[in-house]
Amino acid sequence: MAGIDVGGGHAKRPSNHEIPLIPFIDFLLCLVAFLLVTAVWSQMARINADARVPGPPREDVIEEQKKEKQLHVEMRGERKFQLVWKEGSTVVNTIDVERKKVPKGIAEDFTYPELATKIADEWKQNGSHRAATDKKFDQAVLHTDNSTPFADVIAVIDAIYFPQRDFSFAGKTEKVPSFNVTFAVN
Amino acid sequence: MSEKPLNRFEQPIQVPGRRLLHHIPLKFVRRKVLGHGRRSSNHEIPLIPFIDFLLCIVLFLLASFSATGELPVDKNVKLPAAENVLDMVEAPMVAITGTQILVDGHPAGNTRAIEEANRLQRVDELFNILKNKRELWKQINPGKEFPGVAVLQVDRKVPALVVKSVFQTAAFAGYPNISFMVSRLGETK
Repeated sequence: MAGIDVGGGHAKRPSNHEIPLIPFIDFLLCLVAFLLVTAVWSQMARINADARVPGPPREDVIEEQKKEKQLHVEMRGERKFQLVWKEGSTVVNTIDVERKKVPKGIAEDFTYPELATKIADEWKQNGSHRAATDKKFDQAVLHTDNSTPFADVIAVIDAIYFPQRDFSFAGKTEKVPSFNVTFAVN
Repeated sequence: MSEKPLNRFEQPIQVPGRRLLHHIPLKFVRRKVLGHGRRSSNHEIPLIPFIDFLLCIVLFLLASFSATGELPVDKNVKLPAAENVLDMVEAPMVAITGTQILVDGHPAGNTRAIEEANRLQRVDELFNILKNKRELWKQINPGKEFPGVAVLQVDRKVPALVVKSVFQTAAFAGYPNISFMVSRLGETK
């Protein structure tokens, strides 16, 4: 047993006390049991998409409509993806990437690592918003077939979020995805 | 005084001591019995390391403790997995299970009409529910900017047309920041 020796010993009360370890251990065990029962071992996460809905028009701010480069990811082909850089309606560059599914994790999970690497390379070459202080993000537009399963859509969005950049907010700098993703209407 | 002779049943007083197993004429048994063995047979449980261990567990569990509780995921929904993900946020949960659409567990229309029409469509019931939720939020939090975040919980096999229709409906109802709920794949970075 553990004890505390505080010296002395001439007073009426004994000055050497033993810490009651057994109740302390009992208390700790109860705490462990409670925390184990209430623990949430969740593997859930989220992946963002942006609907690009414009805010209400403000009379005091005249917005300058600047045409920016956008990355259009075409996933309607069965054998390849097409990455198209567009400035407004003008096509700047088109790149084909082989559609190679790589199984990962358990169940039927998969990724497109080749597409992710290619998108990262493309962003390094053509991305407009790289500075950590830049509040804007490069825009990626996803074109899908109506019948494409949702798992495929998520795998492609995941690949688009692969390239990351620094982003400073409220004095903190953290890594965030370089692109904002939205869906093409047609 | 002469000593009284001992009765044949009486025994002389002997010094008390260890008697157990002393009659066994083996050297190693005698050594053990006399306590000269290498290991003592009385062990104390080392309580201090045990308490340290328990404290470590408590600290770990407290660090990973989540006060918000578990997120409700429908058993019929098999979520897709992704690597480059963000932590979950608290927001209205729109689930697509089979042909049914649920908002926070309450029915909010179905997807049959979209599949039959085979084109992007607004889901009116879902739109009204989300719009009401938004207005309620604004009443409760006057003067604050509405975050416009909704989480879509979609089965991995649901066609993109349904997802896009629900996505667009949520955007029209004032939720432009949509997140898709996924399960986390192992980090690659």
